[in-house]
Amino acid sequence: MMKPAEASLPSDTEVLVKRSFDAPATLVWRAYMEPDLMRRWCAGLPGWSMPVCEMDMRVGGRYRWRWRSDENGQEFGFTGEVLEVTPHAKIVHTQLVDVGDQADSKGSAPASWADAGGSIVTVTLHEANGITHVTTTIKYASKADRDAAVETGMTDGMEMSYTQLDRVLGEM
Amino acid sequence: MSRLDQAFVALADPTRRGIVVRLARSEASVSDLVGHFSLTQPTISSHLKVLESAGLISRRKVAQSRLCKLVPERLKSVTNWLEQVQEIWEGNYKRLDALLSELKQVETKEQKR
Repeated sequence: MMKPAEASLPSDTEVLVKRSFDAPATLVWRAYMEPDLMRRWCAGLPGWSMPVCEMDMRVGGRYRWRWRSDENGQEFGFTGEVLEVTPHAKIVHTQLVDVGDQADSKGSAPASWADAGGSIVTVTLHEANGITHVTTTIKYASKADRDAAVETGMTDGMEMSYTQLDRVLGEM
Repeated sequence: MSRLDQAFVALADPTRRGIVVRLARSEASVSDLVGHFSLTQPTISSHLKVLESAGLISRRKVAQSRLCKLVPERLKSVTNWLEQVQEIWEGNYKRLDALLSELKQVETKEQKR
């Protein structure tokens, strides 16, 4: 059994999550790179399905992940562009909330990830003795954006809001 | 800066975390804390100011001294948030554990062939 995920706030604009896996980095890498595998572990949230999981994980490539609530059909998702890929070691991508086809969607797309309150996600893999240590750093454009993510998570104690859910879930 | 964010910043400092741990036991005056931490009074006071504006402690006047008291709800809100974040990620990571052990088995089988 691996130690549970550890979340912390290493700077004003970042959230850091660490976890280790009992598998070589080559396999962890595949689980992050291949849509069919990604879906297996990112779509398991009870009450939610993952109808869209498209990924072109090359530098300049784009990805799109969407989740749908079984209960009311509400959707949320993420989209972004791949900035950096070092096989079996590192992936960096932007992450924007994808409002999709919702009636209350904001219309035109924002000019950049920063304008959209998006973030840059960096995932690193480091293998030692057959264990792969994974760090995920979510860097927001500003402190205000990070604060907004933090504050949203606070709503009514344990009641999870969509905004936090998508911010956190989508990095996976 | 939001209050919750202030709380995170306040707790990023080891001395301030020490003060919080000390106040979790009981109320204390500034001079109690000066004695406990062997720091100067202005240093302790500036740490207390940060903790107070973050809503993590409250202060009240008793005779000549000001007593500092922990605000446990505030501290709880900080730990709750990180716990929530951890829970969501951990849910996914447990599924990833299962997937990886499956992939490992497949790999072993293929090597045996």
